[in-house]
Amino acid sequence: MSIGHALLGLLEGGPRHGYDLKRSYDERFGQDRPLHYGQVYSTLSRLLKNGLVTEAGVEAGDGPERKRYAITDAGVTDVERWLSTPEKPEPYLQNTLYAKVVLALLSGRSATEVLDAQRAAHLTTMRELTKRKVDGDLADQLICDFALFHLEADLRWLELTAARLDQLAVEVTR
Amino acid sequence: MSLLKAEGLFKSFGKTHALDGADISIRAGEVVAVMGPSGSGKSTLLHCIAGILPPDKGTVHYSGQDLTAMNDSKRSELRRTEFGFVFQFGQLVPELTCLENVALPLRLSGMKRKDAERASRDWLARLEVDGVADQRPGETSGGQGQRVAVARALVTRPKVIFADEPTGALDSLNGERVMHLLTTAARETGAAVVLVTHEPRVAAYSDREVVVRDGRSRDVEFAR
Amino acid sequence: MNRVMSDLALGVRLAVGGSRKSWARLALQGVGIGLGVALLLFAASLPSVMEARDDRQDARNPVTEGAGPAPLLAIEQGHPFRSEYIRGSYLKARSPEAPVPPGIDRVPGDGEIFVSPALAALLDAPGGELLKPRFPQKVIGTIGQAGLQNPNELHFYAGDAKIQEEPDGNTVYGWGVPNDGGGLNPVLWLLSVVGLVVLLFPVLVFVGVATRLAAAQRDRRLAALRLVGAAASRVRLIASGEALAGALAGLVVGFGIFFAVRPSVNGISIAELSTFSSDVMPAPALTVTVVVAVPVLAVVTSLVAMRRTIIEPLGVVRDQKPVRRRLWWRLVPVAAGVALLVSQIGELSATARPDPWPVVTGIVLLMLGIPVLLPWLVERVVFTVRGGSPALQLAVRRLQLDSGTAARVVGGVAVVLAGTVTLQMTLAGVEQDVRTNEEKEASFSYLTINPDPAVDPGAITAALEKTAGVDGVHEIGRTFGELNSGEYVVVTIASCEALRSQATVPDCVDGKAYVVPFSNGLVEAKAGDVLTIKKSGERWTVPAVETVEGTRPGLVVTPAAARGLRAEQFELIAVLDGAVPDVAEHTRNALAAYPWQMHTYFVGQDDTNEAERVFGVIRRALLAGSLLTLLVAAGSLLVVALEQVRERRRPLAVMAASGVPRGTLARSLLWQNALPLAISTVVSLATGIGLGVLVMRVSGSSVAFDWAGIGLVTAVVVGLTLAVTALTLPSLRRATGALGLRTE
Repeated sequence: MSIGHALLGLLEGGPRHGYDLKRSYDERFGQDRPLHYGQVYSTLSRLLKNGLVTEAGVEAGDGPERKRYAITDAGVTDVERWLSTPEKPEPYLQNTLYAKVVLALLSGRSATEVLDAQRAAHLTTMRELTKRKVDGDLADQLICDFALFHLEADLRWLELTAARLDQLAVEVTR
Repeated sequence: MSLLKAEGLFKSFGKTHALDGADISIRAGEVVAVMGPSGSGKSTLLHCIAGILPPDKGTVHYSGQDLTAMNDSKRSELRRTEFGFVFQFGQLVPELTCLENVALPLRLSGMKRKDAERASRDWLARLEVDGVADQRPGETSGGQGQRVAVARALVTRPKVIFADEPTGALDSLNGERVMHLLTTAARETGAAVVLVTHEPRVAAYSDREVVVRDGRSRDVEFAR
Repeated sequence: MNRVMSDLALGVRLAVGGSRKSWARLALQGVGIGLGVALLLFAASLPSVMEARDDRQDARNPVTEGAGPAPLLAIEQGHPFRSEYIRGSYLKARSPEAPVPPGIDRVPGDGEIFVSPALAALLDAPGGELLKPRFPQKVIGTIGQAGLQNPNELHFYAGDAKIQEEPDGNTVYGWGVPNDGGGLNPVLWLLSVVGLVVLLFPVLVFVGVATRLAAAQRDRRLAALRLVGAAASRVRLIASGEALAGALAGLVVGFGIFFAVRPSVNGISIAELSTFSSDVMPAPALTVTVVVAVPVLAVVTSLVAMRRTIIEPLGVVRDQKPVRRRLWWRLVPVAAGVALLVSQIGELSATARPDPWPVVTGIVLLMLGIPVLLPWLVERVVFTVRGGSPALQLAVRRLQLDSGTAARVVGGVAVVLAGTVTLQMTLAGVEQDVRTNEEKEASFSYLTINPDPAVDPGAITAALEKTAGVDGVHEIGRTFGELNSGEYVVVTIASCEALRSQATVPDCVDGKAYVVPFSNGLVEAKAGDVLTIKKSGERWTVPAVETVEGTRPGLVVTPAAARGLRAEQFELIAVLDGAVPDVAEHTRNALAAYPWQMHTYFVGQDDTNEAERVFGVIRRALLAGSLLTLLVAAGSLLVVALEQVRERRRPLAVMAASGVPRGTLARSLLWQNALPLAISTVVSLATGIGLGVLVMRVSGSSVAFDWAGIGLVTAVVVGLTLAVTALTLPSLRRATGALGLRTE
């Protein structure tokens, strides 16, 4: 789960304070583990260094919470690349995939494409596993089946999410 | 070069739009999984491209012929000679023995009973169900019945096999066995397989997938 | 007992309550069974109809003996008019206390007449003026129901002062004497028995079939009951309750139809068949039998049908390996029936009735044998069919799994068919006999006149000779005798000239003798036979005789050959010119001055047509009846076929999807309907012809085959098979559409 991409995605909606970013992030993705302020500022300064965000003015007063950040063109491209690249199929991807879907919806991009790309990646891996299983011995079959069942669970989640995208879109943009 | 290509298919049942501009392309010998949530129009898409159901709009081309321009009996003949079908259940004629079920399409194409039954026995053996040849479908297990159905789909050496949830009524082990036998046999005979399924592990037996959602399909190959 | 009742009640509630479909099924059953019940009720009314008729006939028989001088003189007389026969009495009251016959309010005076409504209508109808001269009296009223056998009877009571008391008894002291004897002609009687059995038996079969209408649906429902924990025995009870509901509905509908139709039986006018509505009253015992038997039959049929359909909690198990049917007990009814009928061969002579029970039981057993034997036969045939087209294979395999339903339905058809064939053959046999006689008569044209001895023959001859169309008048004599063999012979003594008018005797010279054989070829007398004359007891040896064609069977002797014979009766023969229209009626009118003093009999062409007309009417009525029953059977077959399509919707849809041509599927349906029907047609034709031959042997009439009728009925069966299949096609089309592929 990449906090940097998530913050970039949130910034696509418009310039924000660091404190705002933390709050939006926690609301959407941080139910279990809210971000520390430190994490937010260190990530922002990395993005600043890489030219993906810029400072968009400072309000009167002192302290980092007075700075507003805005996303750069390079930042937008980076988000786009991140969204369109499926994650490597492996167990416990839900957090990342969920963030991607929400950010795609927030930024008006196609969440369906995100899901379909991920499905294709999953299926490709499953095909390889199936091939190995069919050609292999019993041990191979059992090992492959274990992975296949987990990937299948992911895929089922992907389908379910795809079926509920409309509902989700209403909820995140509210 | 695609063997079967459908463009801009529309089909409604009353007020329900089952297909809403679906495209698909199948190349010879490939196994394509048609996936999507239930009610998305997967089965309708299969029925349309297999010439079972005429679409309201759009074209279906099979090796140069336009299926939508054919009459019912011509399409019937095409289905009998060029296509094979496997469904979820209830496809075997309950009164006929398994062997007679497999021999039926050959006999309909005019083959002599003896020859048809000899060829059918080979196919039953290939699908490892020659033991139930003389039993009625009602007396076999679900897995055996589906294998008999696969044998019947393959016995005419079709160019395309349409399989609609072929493992839908089977447990994992039997389902995988049927899928393995089906895809292996199809690859050996060079038949393409259009596999409608909502099970990822079944779809994993395919070469690629086409996703159907709300009556529209997403076929990467089609765009190319 | 309480639980039994509550289970039955649950069944009734299942049949009645619930969806529109269950109402529709109940209505279908109600109408089906109701039609049968109505028919049975009409049949149960036959005794009362016959009885009422006999009672009224008895009531108008004159009491000829009594004390003192008779208060009334009466002469019964019949007037033939074209093809009708008008019966009545000429009365002369000799005292004011003269007994009044039933149906009229007083004894008609001289020149007055009471006529039956039918006779009044006949006199008023076009052509009635030809009859008027014979009824010149003043019509003073019509005869009421009490004086008539049936509404269409032609009857009259006329007053005539010229009647004289006669020694052989025209005296009347009162009215109302039971009269035994007479009654139905034995052949007709047998025909009626066969007809009744044949028509009523399919009704029973149909009641059985109607009980099983929509049975598959019900079986599924009962399976659901099993699922919630009802034991098989309780399910049987519940099913019986459902069958009972249908039967009760049928009884209600049946009584409704019966009472709705009853008032209109007056209008039915097939000669003797017409009857007064009030006579149609089902006999109480028979009514109770119907009321009890129909529900019992329904329940038993339902239970027997479920014997093999084991109802399992998870749907109905039909795919079990079929149990082969056993033959021997199915042969018992047929064998017993044939044996009984064979034992009765020749028992029915020209006049005596045989003991009815062996014949009726034999016929019933033989008829019962068909539906009992058919399932075995259908199964046997179906299991021997090998090879054939895929369509045939599909049908045969289907029938192998369940041939019982189809066999039961066609069993009903078979009984109708067999019965129709039997009746048609029997009719054809009787008709052939009648026709042979008529044809023989048709080549002649004359009127015989048997005058009362008191009438002066010269006056009659004079009256006749004045009539246009009368070519000549001859007098012939008759006497009667018995041969050594016990055979009764009529001897006619006539000149060659008189003889030519009624027999083909081209080389007749006085001194010759002839014999005219009976229509069945029997020659009754030959040279050297000794004849004992009835009246005198004298003996007379038959001279050399030639066999010739003629209108009246018996010996015909020219005066020179008749030495030693004395005529007992004289008869006038008026030779008529057949080219003059209604010549016989004009001739009879010429004799109207002697209303009750003579009998006339016309021999000529008309009667063949008349026989044809009567037999045509009977045949058409029979055909209509059997067609109706066949239609009902076809209806049941259609229900069965539709249900089978519904049951196999998915395999049919898949087959159509995999490219099995619809034509193949339709042909397999056709085979599936045609195979049992073809078998049942063959069986019923064989049974019908066999039964026909047996019945005709019993009645001693000649065996004839009505191939046209048999062909027609067979053609109808073929047509019905096609029609039923055609009507199944829309549902096949629906089942084989892509929607049939949908999983529910």
